Amino acid sequence: MTDNGYQPKIVGFLCNWCSYAGADMAGTSRMVYPSHIRIIRVPCSGRVDPLFMAKAFEQGADGVLMAGCHPGDCHYNEGNYYAQRRYALMRELLAFMGIEPERFRLDWVSASEGKKFSQVVTEFTQAVAKLGPRQGVRR
Amino acid sequence: MKDYAEKIQAHARELLAAGKVDCVIGYETGSDGVNARPAFVYRAEDVGRLTFDDTCTHDLVTYLRNRKGKATAVVVKPCDARAVNLLLLEHQLQREQVVVIGLVCPGIKERAWGQKGEALLGKCQVCAMHNPPIYDFLVGQPIAEEPSPDQRYAPVAALAEKSPEERLAFWQAQQERCIRCYACRQTCPGCYCTECFADRLDPQWLGIRVDAPANGMWHTIRAFHLAGRCIGCDECQRVCIMGIPLSLLNRKLEQKVDDAFKFRPGQDAQTPPPLATFNPGENLGVDGGHGC
Ligand code: SF4
Ligand code: SF4
Ligand code: FES
Repeated sequence: MTDNGYQPKIVGFLCNWCSYAGADMAGTSRMVYPSHIRIIRVPCSGRVDPLFMAKAFEQGADGVLMAGCHPGDCHYNEGNYYAQRRYALMRELLAFMGIEPERFRLDWVSASEGKKFSQVVTEFTQAVAKLGPRQGVRR
Repeated sequence: MKDYAEKIQAHARELLAAGKVDCVIGYETGSDGVNARPAFVYRAEDVGRLTFDDTCTHDLVTYLRNRKGKATAVVVKPCDARAVNLLLLEHQLQREQVVVIGLVCPGIKERAWGQKGEALLGKCQVCAMHNPPIYDFLVGQPIAEEPSPDQRYAPVAALAEKSPEERLAFWQAQQERCIRCYACRQTCPGCYCTECFADRLDPQWLGIRVDAPANGMWHTIRAFHLAGRCIGCDECQRVCIMGIPLSLLNRKLEQKVDDAFKFRPGQDAQTPPPLATFNPGENLGVDGGHGC
């Protein structure tokens, strides 16, 4: 990824109905994006307990991506709205505790947005790679 | 505050004698002869034990969770009264089962064994609510409220100004000292889950290893579970035997919640909590932005 061979670990929580299908679309359309992301499929972005974000970082993730349906498109109508509020507070807290805010990303990716998915992952992976490995994790 | 004890005793006597409550939770003088400790009074003839002075640090609302279904009177300072509102809002308490003896509070002092403390508690120095927001009986003369002092968030701002590396180093030094006694959780009026995530074995969110990353996880989730709920009593920080500045985390979230959602926990028992509601048009930092 970077000149010194550093490979960031990215954890991606993708909602089943939109973003995971968007990732699938990127795959079937043979779009190329950095393969550092470890995808975890969740039923809805609203399923992402902020605990998952903290746990991912504790276990050594360098960045955490959360993606769900666009506002108004959530399969459960409002899961993504709640997810957004929790995400915003958790990012603020973790940033205050020393994790750079650039290590977080929330985005809306629909099932047809394979291109957007590959863009988001590329941008995010690059941003995280630039920061380098995280300090203070068990190795 | 001189006549507070007398008035609290009178209310307690009346409530117990009339059988309106079966317990009054208040303060009595502790075993060092100076500082107050929580008191549980069940009989009208025992109300003489009840006192109130500037050593009454405890937030007694935390004891209400053990008395579910039993009518109880509780003595509260304004900060503690906010915890009553929190529990009512979250349906942990029924209004008719709690009698709130609210005090107008001029501030509480730091504790020291066997002697009167000198300085006001940190939370009292920056307190913006001297009258209880909920009560059945009011003790003391209401005093004029002043806007939240600027210093309330000064320690948060001082740390936020530092670089991420410095903040990480600061918190790691704190996390290394935590012994995971969970006193911070036990004392918190808002921490009432019967099974805390920290105690779960499957999935085991928190390993039994006591080291900085695991302790950091504890501090993070403890604070987050109180986001938009912490009423700022600072009891968690006061009881921490290791002197870990937990209030810094609570204040950070308090400020954020106030800025982003205009919500102050415990002000009333009706306003929906910020994480249980949303505004469809909001953007709080989607697309890598930092919207709020
Ligand atoms: S009271 Fe202090 S030492 Fe005990 S678990 Fe809480 S932060 Fe850690
Ligand atoms: S987190 Fe601390 S300050 Fe907030 S309500 Fe609980 S004990 Fe009080
Ligand atoms: S189902 Fe996709 S965000 Fe809720």
